[in-house]
Amino acid sequence: MLPVEGDNLMVLKYSRSKNYRRNLTYLAAGILIAAVTLYLALPIVALFLRMTPDLFFATLHDPDVASALWLSLFTTGISLTVVILVGTPFAYFHSKYSYPGKVVVDTLIDLPLVLPPAVAGVALLVLYGRVGILGRYFNMFGISIAFTTLAVIMAQIFVASPFYLRQAKSLFEQLDPAYEQTARTLGASSLRTLVQVTIPMTATGLVSGAVMTFGRALGEFGATIMFAGNLPGVTQTMPLAVYVGMEGSNINAGLTISILLVIISFGIMIAVRLIQKREADRA
Amino acid sequence: MKETLTPTKIALISMICGLVIVSALIAGCTQSTPQGQTTATTAAATQVPATAAMTATPIPSYTPSQSNLVVYTAASLTGASNTIGSSFSTANPGITVAFDLDGTQALKTQVENGAYADVFISASNAYTNTLKNEGYFVNGTVKTLTTNYVIVILPASNPANITSLADLANPGVKIAMEDKTVPAGTATIAVLNNLANSTYGQSWKNATISNVVTYETSEPAVATKVALGEVDAGFVYQSTATAAANGTYQSITIPKNNNYLQTYTIGILNESQNQAAAANFEQFMLSSAGQQILTQYGFTSP
Repeated sequence: MLPVEGDNLMVLKYSRSKNYRRNLTYLAAGILIAAVTLYLALPIVALFLRMTPDLFFATLHDPDVASALWLSLFTTGISLTVVILVGTPFAYFHSKYSYPGKVVVDTLIDLPLVLPPAVAGVALLVLYGRVGILGRYFNMFGISIAFTTLAVIMAQIFVASPFYLRQAKSLFEQLDPAYEQTARTLGASSLRTLVQVTIPMTATGLVSGAVMTFGRALGEFGATIMFAGNLPGVTQTMPLAVYVGMEGSNINAGLTISILLVIISFGIMIAVRLIQKREADRA
Repeated sequence: MKETLTPTKIALISMICGLVIVSALIAGCTQSTPQGQTTATTAAATQVPATAAMTATPIPSYTPSQSNLVVYTAASLTGASNTIGSSFSTANPGITVAFDLDGTQALKTQVENGAYADVFISASNAYTNTLKNEGYFVNGTVKTLTTNYVIVILPASNPANITSLADLANPGVKIAMEDKTVPAGTATIAVLNNLANSTYGQSWKNATISNVVTYETSEPAVATKVALGEVDAGFVYQSTATAAANGTYQSITIPKNNNYLQTYTIGILNESQNQAAAANFEQFMLSSAGQQILTQYGFTSP
């Protein structure tokens, strides 16, 4: 067949415009990626630029900073343990069985994610507070919850547990039931199946859910200040100490704790990445 | 057919690749910032100490407007603010007043970080002086507005059976007070010291302070905790107890000679783009009409 001049030109024209469009797409993508990255990264960089290392390490010894750090790690540690110990079997049963009102439970699990934390704090206070609906009965036995470290933990569990529950729930739902059925037919009890089959097979996802819960609990502010108050060493967690520091005259403490929280958050995220990468390598 | 790579094309593509790589690098760098603090170190060495007021372009939280005055107001004036606003607007038709009510320490930090306000009402001489020295006020406009005493309030049901100041030190009493950065908190600490030195002794003071279950970030927040019945006693201003509806609280007054007279000031901020109306407002607050409202809400005329 003879080459047709016109056809070739057409193809050339077409490919030119295609290249041009592709380049334009690359350019737009590049600008967009750079813009989003800078928007997210610059505030964090600014925090570090506002502090000298000497001042940072000196402020770490501020008693309020130190006590806020330890209180935060202690309370989030307990909250996370409770969420995992109660949440894992809950999510397992919730995903395996259907029961009346399951939709309601599903909605309630999601509720704290959209509820403003301050509202959660008010709700906890009017329930568990000294004159609250349940709190008044606790009070009769001399048990007070509001304005104690326990209140901090309860507030954290309330606002942060959905991250773990949702994750665990969907992992258990998506897991191929064949594995569990095999274990059961081989004679394993349902508890043993959960511990030796279901949890190991969903471990990576569970860990990232737990890490999100930890992060959210660590950052908890609104519910805590409403329900637990603000007492250094007892209920003043790191976010509260940032607030009080920035409001008042201790701006250095506010900045130092903010930087600590950034470092911890990055540590958490790096840990999750490493775990997921190891899992991916193994698979 | 064959694809031709013209120099322009190569340049364009490499430019795009470069941009993408740079943005990825930025992302990488910032992710490693917590470890690689040295990069921040050199830059930070030339920085002003972090306590200095930031000089970044202010983003006003309110738009300056000729018909609306923004008044940064100590939270303890919350009760009086509505009456003040409506009385002023009646006397000065066409001008409305927006009150931003918060602990003076918070308002001060906001102004130092570029918040827009026309008038600043402070519950603390110390914070007023700091702002004055930093040059935020129009010279000569800072005046004493009113004064306030500290008082102890109890829930109406008085669950801890507190009948005297001495009872505040009883074991198990739950007390709310303001954080020491809040002017009312500073005043409360002074009052506790005065009472300890004159009458009740140091051990009373220590026991009372160990009964504190929360240090709130504003004076009204303490009043709320008492009104809810969540604590047995709270240290607030006289004005709060006076302005509250009958039956909200019981109160225990603190003798004047052991009390701490908190001085409120009013001043016009340099950044105000509505100096005339701001001056009108200050004049109104200092006039007998303004002072009468404050007295009605339990403040003490200076």
